[in-house]
Amino acid sequence: MAALTQIFKIPDSIKKGAKYSFCPGCDHGVAVRLVGEALDELGLRENTIAVASIGCSVTIYDFLDVDSLEAPHGRALAEATGIKRARPDKFVFTYQGDGDFASIGMAESMHTALRGEKVTAICINNTTYGMTGGQLGPTTLLGQVTTTSPTGRNVEYYGYPIKIAEHIALCDGTAYSARVSLDSVANIRKAKQVIKKAFEIQLHGLGFSFVEILSTCPTNWKMTPQQAHDRVRNQMMEVFKPGVYKDITADRN
Amino acid sequence: MSHIVLDEAKCKACYLCINECPKKLLRVGSKTNNLGDHLVEFYDPNHECIGCAMCATRCPDLAITEVYRG
Repeated sequence: MAALTQIFKIPDSIKKGAKYSFCPGCDHGVAVRLVGEALDELGLRENTIAVASIGCSVTIYDFLDVDSLEAPHGRALAEATGIKRARPDKFVFTYQGDGDFASIGMAESMHTALRGEKVTAICINNTTYGMTGGQLGPTTLLGQVTTTSPTGRNVEYYGYPIKIAEHIALCDGTAYSARVSLDSVANIRKAKQVIKKAFEIQLHGLGFSFVEILSTCPTNWKMTPQQAHDRVRNQMMEVFKPGVYKDITADRN
Repeated sequence: MSHIVLDEAKCKACYLCINECPKKLLRVGSKTNNLGDHLVEFYDPNHECIGCAMCATRCPDLAITEVYRG
């Protein structure tokens, strides 16, 4: 019998026996695993301080086996700034949702990018406030029905959704800004490379690095997990186009 | 031979893995979880698994804990 090679295992950075508390089919689980894999591959586990935000993303400290702090709503990057300035030798990243990053924490997020703090932010964009029951968020698509926009988001009343990765890329302190999707296995593998790249930017001390991850919320979208991924592919990726919007290392080569 | 290890205690029956398997070796099983949802089972009588780990990459709940190729 041929020797077996193990080609997949749960990353060491994820706590032993961790059982996610996310809804069935939620892509938060994939995102947390990718962060764990990136931490493993860069050997950062013992030197990392994670900052959790408010929302479904708060539970990251239950699953990742790294030192973590919990920030008030929207203030994850303000807290990360303090940690990084006090302990510049540590690797600091935040894990936030779109409501936390781009609505309540917009000022903190933008100014952290403008100051070029050497931290990494990971933002999960699921176009709604997932934990509180599916209200209209800053990234809700035009026409999308939520509990606070029962007739669908219209421009006259609610305005337009924000394209976070593009806005962060415009800030001069940003070293890396990218958007990825988790709708297919190929895109999940790309997402992992992007997260790893963002972490490396911080390790080299080049500036602020940011990754926006398009994710699903089957519960609040009232869809099956499969339908939710189809929606990401057909509707969200049309508006929020995946890609690297800023990479200061690209010009040097 | 290539195979996967499935942790039934973690499976939340989202069935995303079923569509990913290129050999269609994952299917809805007869066992149920506490909520009555039918869990996914790995059915590979002819040893067709190629160990591509697409199911494990897709699984959002770490229910596919190990993949071996060989």
